[in-house]
Amino acid sequence: MEITKKRTFVSHVKNTLVYMVFFLPVHYSGQISTDLDTIKIKEVVISRNKPDTEASGYKKTKIDSSTLVNYSNRNLSDMLSENTDIYIKSYGMGGTSTVAFRGTTASHTIIDWNGININSPMLGQSDLSLFPVGLVDDVNIYFGGASMLLNNGGIGGTINLETAPVWNKETVISLNSGIGSFGSYSELLKVKTGNNKFQTVTKAFLQGSENDFRYLNTQSIQSRITETRTNNQVSQRGFVQEFYYKNSENLLSARFWYQSADRNLSHPIGIPDQGEKQFDQSLRTMLNYDRVVGKSNFSLTSAWVMDRMNYFNHVDTIDSRNLSKMLTLKAGFENPIGDFTKLKIVLDEESNVINSVNYTHKTTRNTASASAIIEWNKARVGTTILIREILDRQTLLIPDFSAALQLRLINAQEYYIKANLSRNSKIPTMNDLFYGSGGNPDLKNEYSLIYEISYEMNQKISVPLRLKYNLTFFRYAIDDMIQWQPGEQIYWTAENIKKVISSGAESSLSVDYKYNHLNATIKAGYILTLAKYGESKYKNDNSEGKQLMYVPVNQANASLRMGYKSFYTSWVSSFTGTRYTATDNSAFLNGYFINNVMAGMKLPLKSSSVDINFNVENLFNINYQSIANYPLPGRYYNIKILFQFIK
Amino acid sequence: MKTLIKTALLFLLVVSCIKDPKLPNISYTMGGGVILLDEGNYRSGNGSLSFYSYDSSKIYNDLFSSANGRPLGDVPNSVLLKDTKAYIVVNNSGKIEVIDPSTFVSKATIENLKSPRNMAILSDTKAYVTSLSSDSVAIINLTSNTVSGYINMHKTSESIIVAGSKVFISNWAGGKEVMVINFANDTVVDSIQVGAEPESMVFDRNGRLWVLCNGGYARKNNAELYEINAATNRIEEKYIFPTIDDSPTCLNIDSFGQTLYFIDKGVMRMDIGSPSLPTGPIIEQGGGQYYYKLAINPLNGDILVTDALDFAQQGYLYIYSYRGDFVSKQKAGIIPGSMCFNLTINSQTN
Repeated sequence: MEITKKRTFVSHVKNTLVYMVFFLPVHYSGQISTDLDTIKIKEVVISRNKPDTEASGYKKTKIDSSTLVNYSNRNLSDMLSENTDIYIKSYGMGGTSTVAFRGTTASHTIIDWNGININSPMLGQSDLSLFPVGLVDDVNIYFGGASMLLNNGGIGGTINLETAPVWNKETVISLNSGIGSFGSYSELLKVKTGNNKFQTVTKAFLQGSENDFRYLNTQSIQSRITETRTNNQVSQRGFVQEFYYKNSENLLSARFWYQSADRNLSHPIGIPDQGEKQFDQSLRTMLNYDRVVGKSNFSLTSAWVMDRMNYFNHVDTIDSRNLSKMLTLKAGFENPIGDFTKLKIVLDEESNVINSVNYTHKTTRNTASASAIIEWNKARVGTTILIREILDRQTLLIPDFSAALQLRLINAQEYYIKANLSRNSKIPTMNDLFYGSGGNPDLKNEYSLIYEISYEMNQKISVPLRLKYNLTFFRYAIDDMIQWQPGEQIYWTAENIKKVISSGAESSLSVDYKYNHLNATIKAGYILTLAKYGESKYKNDNSEGKQLMYVPVNQANASLRMGYKSFYTSWVSSFTGTRYTATDNSAFLNGYFINNVMAGMKLPLKSSSVDINFNVENLFNINYQSIANYPLPGRYYNIKILFQFIK
Repeated sequence: MKTLIKTALLFLLVVSCIKDPKLPNISYTMGGGVILLDEGNYRSGNGSLSFYSYDSSKIYNDLFSSANGRPLGDVPNSVLLKDTKAYIVVNNSGKIEVIDPSTFVSKATIENLKSPRNMAILSDTKAYVTSLSSDSVAIINLTSNTVSGYINMHKTSESIIVAGSKVFISNWAGGKEVMVINFANDTVVDSIQVGAEPESMVFDRNGRLWVLCNGGYARKNNAELYEINAATNRIEEKYIFPTIDDSPTCLNIDSFGQTLYFIDKGVMRMDIGSPSLPTGPIIEQGGGQYYYKLAINPLNGDILVTDALDFAQQGYLYIYSYRGDFVSKQKAGIIPGSMCFNLTINSQTN
């Protein structure tokens, strides 16, 4: 039984430090890239003035390229949940899936596309199940304060999906086909061609699934019966076109991304099917111009994003049609001041237009911000100071800031102490403000003070062996958190109600071994999140001091990846602890431990290659739920074949 | 006095919660008490059943799952007692659980209902069930515990109440009518135009039907209270709530059919002969409280009101005497909602 009430919660965690030591670390450590890479991705610089390039004192990680290749025919939600300890909440295969960091919420997480926020302005969040990994070239994760280097509002963090050209004179055509259990299939075609001045990249994908997996009906009349998921089909398609042009001083890029998804939404266990359907459609375009003059950099970006989301429920007769349009203009300027200091100025302007049957009329919003970032780096010390002023709907907010310090402990060696203190504001979503019944135009912005300190090392122990370790402690004090709740009216309204204190630790360890034809990487990680409801105004409220709903206290993961000549294999385990489903912690979902194994081989042919691999997901056939009553599949399989042709 | 007792008994029947003649076989149900449905969260399947025992002055939670080894379902909305059976209408599970009210063991499950809300028992073999999202009222065969037919009202339905051969059904969500049905032949015979979103109804001692119209979700109309002659289906009186923010719910009446109760940010009380709406609550709702559902003890007039707090944690059942004095506070399940008294004559306390 997934939900069991009245369990007295006994914390396993007596001593964080003990855990830190024994249950060593995690995180897809960036630079460790094994020879598993099926596509050689060369080091490229899209633009020299990306605002985040060197900023010292922050926690950022990068998903390694081999992982991106292995998940190229899957979605971002699967990739992040199996390879990072960012917390993913999923309504099941193909269903809506959201991401949260460190006890904050999905709307405190920003999904960026090349530095531009593409979260739905209505919901303030993104559905990660709609992002095929194969469409992006890099995934960078900015934790806590680091997120402010890109945007405001990502109190928990920002995930930046990047696309970048490879400036060489060759044509690469790759076709990635996958089939798997429950009638799933995927096709991803990429064509890249150009020279050292011009590049064009075209990507197209098509994927779908019946998703008719077996699950345990935890609410059934006969105990422990398994049933088949119905009305759960997914079908997605998309097209991406990118053009890049550069000369010695200028870089121009144009990007276009269209995709749509038709989904039938299966019912929660114990509830008759309601004939729910959802149609998502997105069109994202971006123009970017970068210019280098002497030591100065300028950049201009404009992005226009349209999202359509239509939801239909047959039983409750809901026909919800929503269309949002978002125009973003971003200008950056970067200039050195003296030998050690660099100044960056970023201006950002975003306007939203919403057409929704749930709003009383067509609704617009305009938000602008100006940021100044000063970086100072000398010898073993680096500092970053950021100040940001936001103008939201003609009102200036209290300025946000971030200050970071980084110390290199030993000269020329990668041992660091990093610390930062930030104040980050999150302006309310359009739904929070304007939803027809319950939207509250008088809402204040949420804000959080974020404290973070980490120790990081990346050290070659011997010729074949490299060790990487990170230990981070964080503390968030979130105030005026927006929550929908019953109020004066018959319907629920959005209010600045809760205070939340979230503190915890993340630790990750990665050991990389390379010798002759053999390479191996072992990673292990543990994350502790103590996210508590703060003081309540009300005497009867039993949520005070309790763990937030759907925030696991404990998460851990471990993986082993090995490669020998053309063979490669991996074993990935992840553990998600108990999550409460009531604010007074009177009900919860059990934790789960999921294992995935994969084996494959890459056969180089003349000017092309074939890479084939076989995956077993949820090896031990565990019954589990990420959201109460939305079952996730037991053991399932998929096969992927990647043809790559280079000329 | 005799008339008074008769009326009281009549209302026990109308409110459909009558005393259980059989001695229950579970100790805490022995002295009688209140079956309380904890709705749980919509689509979370965590609805549950609580029982407040007047004998021990204690509440017992999660009784359905303890007795049956499975959860009650998603959003149990209403409960009705008939002889040795209690009918629990589980809205978003589309079913009715037929349980033994003394052991809470499920005897049958009536399935394939579309968003069922409230039930009225018309005879030993027949009942009607209203529907929030369909245009039809379901006809239930109580012998086979199956849906035997539908009455298409071309409107959604909510509150349901029986008087003689007539059944009055309110058209709540987005509606403004009370439909009148002849249950002998299952046909709509009349409709009465009332205010926006008629949510709850009771009968008084004079045979008047009182209809509380909530005013609607969008708050475009003021809430209204109607007094209707149930014999002629004519509106006798209409009371308009003073502000657009008044959003009254849960109209109840005491067993004498004399005093109306409802929730409007507090518990309000009104005599049926009153020329105007009450101006203030007899039980105030405090900060952070959300008074959700109301019930009046037919034997001693106790006022029972549930508090759903933030709707995401275990709420409370508050018991006040008929004078409005605090008696007891009990911790129930998540979103404590509808109640039904299962009393024996000697069981009342205080």
